[in-house]
Amino acid sequence: MLRKEVNELLTQTNAETPMGEMFRQYWIPALLSSELPEDDCAPVRVKLLGERLIAFRDSKGRYGLMDEFCAHRGVSLWFGRNEEGGLRCPYHGWKYDVNGNCIEVPSEAEESGFCERIKLQAYPLVKVGDVLWTFMGPKENRPPLPEWEFATVPSDQTFTSKRWQECNWLQAMEGGIDSSHVSFLHSGGLQSDPLFKGAKGNEYNLADKKPVFEVTETEGGLFIGARRNAEAGKHYWRITPWIMPSFTMVPPRGDHPQHGHFWIPIDDENCWAWSYDYHPTRALTEEEVQAMKDGHGIHNEYVPGTFRPLQNKDNDYMMDRDAQRRGETYSGIKGIAMQDASLQESMGPICDRTKENLVSTDNGIIMARHRLRKAVTAFRDKGTMPPGREPAHQKVRSVAVVLDAEQNYVEACQDALTSEKGKERTSV
Amino acid sequence: MDTDVRPTLLSSCALAATAEEAGFRVDYPNSATRSSRIFALDPAAAEIMYQIVEDPWKGAHFLTVRDGNTVDPEKTGIDDLALSHPNGVAATLSKEIEGADVVVLIATTGDGVGSAEVIAREAYHRKIMTVGLAMSESKEQHETDAVVNSLRRFASVLVVARDASFVPAMLTALRA
Repeated sequence: MLRKEVNELLTQTNAETPMGEMFRQYWIPALLSSELPEDDCAPVRVKLLGERLIAFRDSKGRYGLMDEFCAHRGVSLWFGRNEEGGLRCPYHGWKYDVNGNCIEVPSEAEESGFCERIKLQAYPLVKVGDVLWTFMGPKENRPPLPEWEFATVPSDQTFTSKRWQECNWLQAMEGGIDSSHVSFLHSGGLQSDPLFKGAKGNEYNLADKKPVFEVTETEGGLFIGARRNAEAGKHYWRITPWIMPSFTMVPPRGDHPQHGHFWIPIDDENCWAWSYDYHPTRALTEEEVQAMKDGHGIHNEYVPGTFRPLQNKDNDYMMDRDAQRRGETYSGIKGIAMQDASLQESMGPICDRTKENLVSTDNGIIMARHRLRKAVTAFRDKGTMPPGREPAHQKVRSVAVVLDAEQNYVEACQDALTSEKGKERTSV
Repeated sequence: MDTDVRPTLLSSCALAATAEEAGFRVDYPNSATRSSRIFALDPAAAEIMYQIVEDPWKGAHFLTVRDGNTVDPEKTGIDDLALSHPNGVAATLSKEIEGADVVVLIATTGDGVGSAEVIAREAYHRKIMTVGLAMSESKEQHETDAVVNSLRRFASVLVVARDASFVPAMLTALRA
């Protein structure tokens, strides 16, 4: 349960809200690099943290992200001409560079210096891995570029997708640290999904439906350990890192690629669910990449030409009661991603947490909210920079491991929980 | 009735997940008062607990284990454990744990392992969920490990928290 004012504090992310300002202290994923595939390609409309923006790639390959609307009469620059080093409004020819500077106002004499007085709000847009990242805060607060492992391994070892999720970012993110739902909602996929099946760890998962949870605070966020019985005197641990404000990594299964998410607010009632899959030490196979493109694992199918999932609220997520009865899916919804999204969207655009009844197995969620609240109030009241911005916080890995029953998972897996180029991962 | 009939009203399909439709959620208390028992296993844990006992809790009882570092669980029966209420009045475990739906054990050291076992054993017999809360503020890793190890065997959920402000946050979230 959260009080109404705390719920609002954590869920509202538009400009000048405390959480919105805190989000603006991080590099956040803005677009897939494939959305701007070549110089002078079509611009893309982007909405982030309640701001309507336009992204483009100019003639020299520079990326730009700025106010969507022309400073002259408010025309959307999505209709613009991306040419000769800038984006030109088609209405009266005003032209902007990737930094939002107005570089041409054809109706005014060049000597007048008029266009030098015009500037659109712009944010840096930088390619790291398959993702274009932006920083929407003040320049003096800009941290080093992101060093998440999925974005820094060679390109043939990683695959990223994104989908529009029609609810607030927090309830979507909380699904990523709610380890106890996996034994129910996603139980069908462990045995059938090409990106999960066959791992030894799945047997422990399916045999012990009542895991014991250990939640441990870290500098950057949390480790959430789920412990299940393995062979005599042994425990099977699945350890999920959560790094503030909205990064999670699911523990791996066998030699399958490992995956996770970012949840980034579009506005208070919509978010981007970013889904990455990577392997730290080998290239993804063609079959794996095809499975991801086909919507398996944590990815999804799309309404053609959009980032809207094919299964969405317009079609009741293609609910299949027969598949539910047959035990192929637990909820009747196909696919991990849409199993989560369908339920999270059903909570309403912003979940009313005054009505919820949390139990002790929800302590990962309780602690994450507590950390977010502490960080956002410290940032608002004292200007303290929040955790999760430092590269050291970002160099994490999820782990699946069998340990002796008396071992402390954080201590035993300290090295395995830290990413390092070329280091073998720990997976069962 | 034809089972293929599709919903015709907005509120009969997934499109009902709008802010406007959320306003039609039935507004009534959907849970009864909970009955939480919070045990401070050592003096520093008790100090953390004393800071919040005056808050307006619903059904929470706060108890301190006295001399917890000397408890031998093999020789300590349910009502042999020395407990006290925040006002210093003595309490008995059998009476306090009756009707509880969750037991929370707070520890700042590993010294309370014996008393943790006595309380958790009783909770287990009564099928009450036990949550362990290991406070790690300003501690070296080996000190934290000692606290965690003292609770691990007994807790269905274990939280390693860096600061005391998590205690009221957790209890509020659990409607304690």
